[in-house]
Amino acid sequence: MSREYKVGLFIICTTIVICLTLLYLAREKGFFTTVYTFTLSSKTGESFTEGMPVVFSGFNIGKVHALELNDKGIVLIKIKIPQRHVKWIRTDSSFVLYRPLIGVARILVTTDNLGSPPMPENKIPEVGIINDINDAIEKVQPLLEKITQIAENLERLSRKVDAMAAKTDEQIFGKDGTLPNINKILKDVAGKMEKLNTTVDNINKISKDASEGMKDFRTLRSDIDDTVKVLDNVAREIDTILSRKKEPEIKVP
Amino acid sequence: MRKILTVAIVIFICSCGSNSKQVPDWKDAAFRQLENYKVNFLTGKEDASEPHFDKARQAASGGNDLNLLARIYLNKYALHTAALEDFDDSEFIRINKIQPIASNFAYYNFLKGNFTAVEDSLLPSNYSGFIKIARSKDLAKAIQEIPSIDDPLSRLIACGIWVKCLPYDENILQTAINVSADNGWKRPLWAYLTKLQKYYLDRGETAKAESIKERLELLKK
Repeated sequence: MSREYKVGLFIICTTIVICLTLLYLAREKGFFTTVYTFTLSSKTGESFTEGMPVVFSGFNIGKVHALELNDKGIVLIKIKIPQRHVKWIRTDSSFVLYRPLIGVARILVTTDNLGSPPMPENKIPEVGIINDINDAIEKVQPLLEKITQIAENLERLSRKVDAMAAKTDEQIFGKDGTLPNINKILKDVAGKMEKLNTTVDNINKISKDASEGMKDFRTLRSDIDDTVKVLDNVAREIDTILSRKKEPEIKVP
Repeated sequence: MRKILTVAIVIFICSCGSNSKQVPDWKDAAFRQLENYKVNFLTGKEDASEPHFDKARQAASGGNDLNLLARIYLNKYALHTAALEDFDDSEFIRINKIQPIASNFAYYNFLKGNFTAVEDSLLPSNYSGFIKIARSKDLAKAIQEIPSIDDPLSRLIACGIWVKCLPYDENILQTAINVSADNGWKRPLWAYLTKLQKYYLDRGETAKAESIKERLELLKK
């Protein structure tokens, strides 16, 4: 086989493969599928954009193809639904524009009765609007008002606390405040404690003196005891000599 | 003449001295302290009486004479009985267990009102008539017998035993009051006056009871 023949064969094969790939991709992308166009209406075109997804049960089934304004000032929204998804669009389907707080806006399709007849392309249902952002803002508005009110109250309270703190400062640390008074009292107490030290020393001294005195008392007591004993003996001697006293007898009365 | 008189006096004094027998210190001390105790007890000097009793007891202990010690305790019990008070007889019981003496135990039974356990001859002679009457519980005879007891303390003890152990009346109480008052014995006097007041109150004689109460208040001031 000649060289030219081989090159020709390679180019033809490559071209065929490329064409087949392109055809496959085109098919997969729905190039050959039939697309149905439905028209929706809305009083405002705000938030609608071309290419906006049309969602059924969380799945993309189509997208907004074009936006037009008719003679009556109504916005017409043309959506394209491929043939395989057109079964979800029925006469009793409702369309709602959903603007979530986070994420892109989309048109939600809700079909309560899938058994109802398919929606004709000339029917123009109106699109309802669910606006999470506005709802959130509406809900947040009173909260914001309340927060503002609270902030004002806090500010007022803070001013009062400030004033009170100033007064307390004055009362505690002021010239005639509590702390200087306490200091004064403590100084007084300290002074008195010092005086008490002297008193305690005196008491110790007195106690020592008394203790020493007690020794004298003991000596005195023993002296007195001796004297009493001597006197007692003398008395007994005299008693014995003079009165012939009989031996005392302890009897029961 | 003067010389003869001087010699006679010296001989007399010497003869007195030589005949006298020295009384042991402990016995003398025990006797005197017990007498002081009795006086202080009866005159209501409570603080002074107990130390005297302790000294009497200690003195008797020094002589190792349990009979004497038992009698000292019996004296104390007798005084308490005379003042219508109860007494703790544990010490006497202990002594009696070690050295039982019939006369002491008889006196103890007499004080406790166990008249049947008392042998008359073992009691002091003062109570010979009283013990028989006490056994027969004859109040009328007791009223006659008690005042005939010579010793005032024995008379008061007899009253105390009767009032504590047997049915009594105001005559016996009055006898005791008179004995106490005659001798200035404050402690038994107040005890019998209180008893008399209670006696009148129990019989609904409130006027008499009130009078006794007022008298007591005045005396105790």
